[in-house]
Amino acid sequence: MSPSDAVMRDHSTARPAVDRPADYLHEQHTLRSWFFSTDHKRIGLLYLASITFFFVLGAIAACLVRLALIVPDGTIFSSDTYNKLFTMHGVIMIWFFLIPSIPATFGNFLLPLMIGAKDVAFPHLNLASFYIFITGALFTLITLVIGGVDTGWTFYAPFSTTFSNTYVIPALIGVIIVGFSSILTGLNFVVTIHKMRCPGMTWFRMPIFVWTLYATSLIFLLATPVITIALILLVMERAFGIGVFDPRLGGDPVLFEHLFWFYSHPAVYIMVLPGMGVITELVAAFSQKKVFGYRFVAYASIALASVTFLVWGHHMFVNGESQLAATIFSLLSFAVAVPSAVKVYNWTATIHKGSIHLDTPMLYAMGYIGLFVLGGLTGLFLATLAIDAHLHDTYFVVAHFHYIMVGGTMLAFLGGLHYWWPKFTGRMYPEAFGRVGAGLIFVGFNVTFFPQFILGYLGMPRRYHVYPPEFQLLNIMSSAGATILAAGYFFPMVYLIWSLWYGKKAPANPWNAKGLEWTTSSPPPTHNFLNTPVVDFEPYGYENKAPEIG
Amino acid sequence: MTPEERRQLWQHMRTPVISLGLLMALLAINVILGATLPFHGVWMLEAAVVLCMVLVVLFLSMDVSHEAPLIRVFSMLGFFWVLILFTMTLTDYLAR
Amino acid sequence: MAEAVLVGIERAEHFESIDQQREAASLGMWAWLLTELLLFSGLFLIALILRIQHPAAVTLATTHLKFWIGAANTAVLICSSFTMSGAIGLSRLGWQRGMVGCMLATATLGTLFLGLKGFEYYQDYAEHMMPFLGQPYALAADQATRLFIDVYFITTALHGLHLITGVSILLVLTSMAGRPNFLAQHQNRIEIYGLYWHFIDLIWIIVFPVLYVLNR
Repeated sequence: MSPSDAVMRDHSTARPAVDRPADYLHEQHTLRSWFFSTDHKRIGLLYLASITFFFVLGAIAACLVRLALIVPDGTIFSSDTYNKLFTMHGVIMIWFFLIPSIPATFGNFLLPLMIGAKDVAFPHLNLASFYIFITGALFTLITLVIGGVDTGWTFYAPFSTTFSNTYVIPALIGVIIVGFSSILTGLNFVVTIHKMRCPGMTWFRMPIFVWTLYATSLIFLLATPVITIALILLVMERAFGIGVFDPRLGGDPVLFEHLFWFYSHPAVYIMVLPGMGVITELVAAFSQKKVFGYRFVAYASIALASVTFLVWGHHMFVNGESQLAATIFSLLSFAVAVPSAVKVYNWTATIHKGSIHLDTPMLYAMGYIGLFVLGGLTGLFLATLAIDAHLHDTYFVVAHFHYIMVGGTMLAFLGGLHYWWPKFTGRMYPEAFGRVGAGLIFVGFNVTFFPQFILGYLGMPRRYHVYPPEFQLLNIMSSAGATILAAGYFFPMVYLIWSLWYGKKAPANPWNAKGLEWTTSSPPPTHNFLNTPVVDFEPYGYENKAPEIG
Repeated sequence: MTPEERRQLWQHMRTPVISLGLLMALLAINVILGATLPFHGVWMLEAAVVLCMVLVVLFLSMDVSHEAPLIRVFSMLGFFWVLILFTMTLTDYLAR
Repeated sequence: MAEAVLVGIERAEHFESIDQQREAASLGMWAWLLTELLLFSGLFLIALILRIQHPAAVTLATTHLKFWIGAANTAVLICSSFTMSGAIGLSRLGWQRGMVGCMLATATLGTLFLGLKGFEYYQDYAEHMMPFLGQPYALAADQATRLFIDVYFITTALHGLHLITGVSILLVLTSMAGRPNFLAQHQNRIEIYGLYWHFIDLIWIIVFPVLYVLNR
């Protein structure tokens, strides 16, 4: 214990116990030891704080958008302001929350633990990734403060290059820079998984979460450079009028879209795959049962990371691409649904006849499965050429991706956060509050986004400041749902922080789960394990007995 | 330099010398073709020469053939992905 | 030749063995090079699409590029790759002075490339072949030529940026590599850096024909 612990100790309130062994959280207290740490666990927490900050910013933008849409005539905000609000919401949520969320927080913290390593392959590079993220984030914050950008997160040319009067270039620079953070994290994870596994940890003994992190990291490496060059070209076009995307000079705006979506479609799988990995972990632990079809789930992760690169044109069906390309992309988009479906079936089969514990993480996991299925199926509607002609750029698309990103990834993030909270912090969160929060989020989410499927089907366009008055009731419903959702998000922020001081102290394995991270203390020591683990057992070694009746 | 040192040096420098020679020769071919433009579809031959040069750099200079299978996969993976980018974008531009 | 020094790698704390460390570094560099290839491929794709959409303009633009400077630069980089391979070979033998000499030669050739490139850009400027500057443009009659010329500038500038970064890192590495005990502790850094240098060469080997040769 440090001298400050003894000095600050107040016996009238609950305080952290002082006679604990050194762990990564308490070993060093200085700011320097946190902000210059090369410990993957501390870096994971640095990311956690940062993405939470950006989540709040992005959520505020979303609340303002929903506020604006309460009235059909656009009187609450000017159209320019409205355009900036949905753009900032998209840019922040995608690049500064969803993409880093699970990989940079849980991935950084848990990957070495799950494979029995002391740290990632390149710890200094890991720290550099974090500061590159912060640099990109600063550019985005500056953009926000000096006036924002209104092009939509998709930055389509020629609006972004020629006609927009907002701060497009700083916004682009922020995204370009943060891309390098992704690339370096992906690089670190790939090398770590290939080279740093402890003795006996073969590929097929790794947790599924590690497989999904690997698949995600491959996408980081293969996709991100293409958007880097696409956005650099946008900056060049806007600053120098180079002409490549400008029809007046013989250029083609669709060429930008090809380069943009070559990254951005796989990017949505960056946002989805780690969440799927988390759900697999939750479902196994809270059914106390091994993952059904482990190899299928592992291969499906790699299949998703590969086939995802073959479908990007489905974002461009009505934008001018050739019929041949559209047809090929449509067919491949149907194919990419298959590995996702395999995972859903395997989760269900894992839960079936398991010893189910409906703790907060499991509630999130169950919510995820249902909402992800809805989101995924509606993706198939959009992959169908004739239907997409009607639904493209409507609220149907908005609902589709929010079902996956919020109903899916966000729930996975929250479920994982609750599941691993004891490991990160050494504290249990209050279970009753956890369940209330999960319920609020589930209800709030559906009230917000289900009406949007209907609105889209009825023809309400997305990114429009005004809409026909007959859509107002559904819009009000959606906005009302957003307030419930906001309350649901606020809840865990409060009780999780509360638990840092007042939560019950957590044992090494509060969930009786399998996995190397649960064999070390909560929180773990700085070097993760007292002795390097040697693995001679299969993953998810639960006993697989049907629960007793009576 | 002793004869033993000379032998050691040549052992290490044999492959780079071959690389140098091959790359310069291939470059000379492409420069001559580009300068003289002997026939209509010469670009195809030039592209083939470029492919050879890339292979020489990968397999001789960067020694990919002596590396572990994992490295070999990663060295090829990027090119394969570039192929995906190109072919699928071409299904748009060539079929408009 | 100077007498050989001890060659080896000092194990970092989080690695279990030197082999693990060496393989991790190599895989890490290849993963990075993969991203560099994809970065430039976006530009190659645009060059190809421009060729498909504006064949005559692209051919006209190509004939105004400085073919012989480009060719000379390619030869310079190929030689620099050779000297870098020399550095790697000598590092394996432990011949430190020779290795440092090869690294300096590599940096010199890289700088020569940059010098020739700078001269080429100056000539482009003098011949009014910089349409993005908003000044009179030599090929203004065919506006579509601008697109290819702009791609030429962006591609060569991006490559040049990588080369400047590469030479800078090389000079830092050379000053470290000249110190005693360097080869005993960090020999594989020369090899890892060599991979990067060869790749800069590889990218240029593709850039030169794509921009200067194939469309003539």
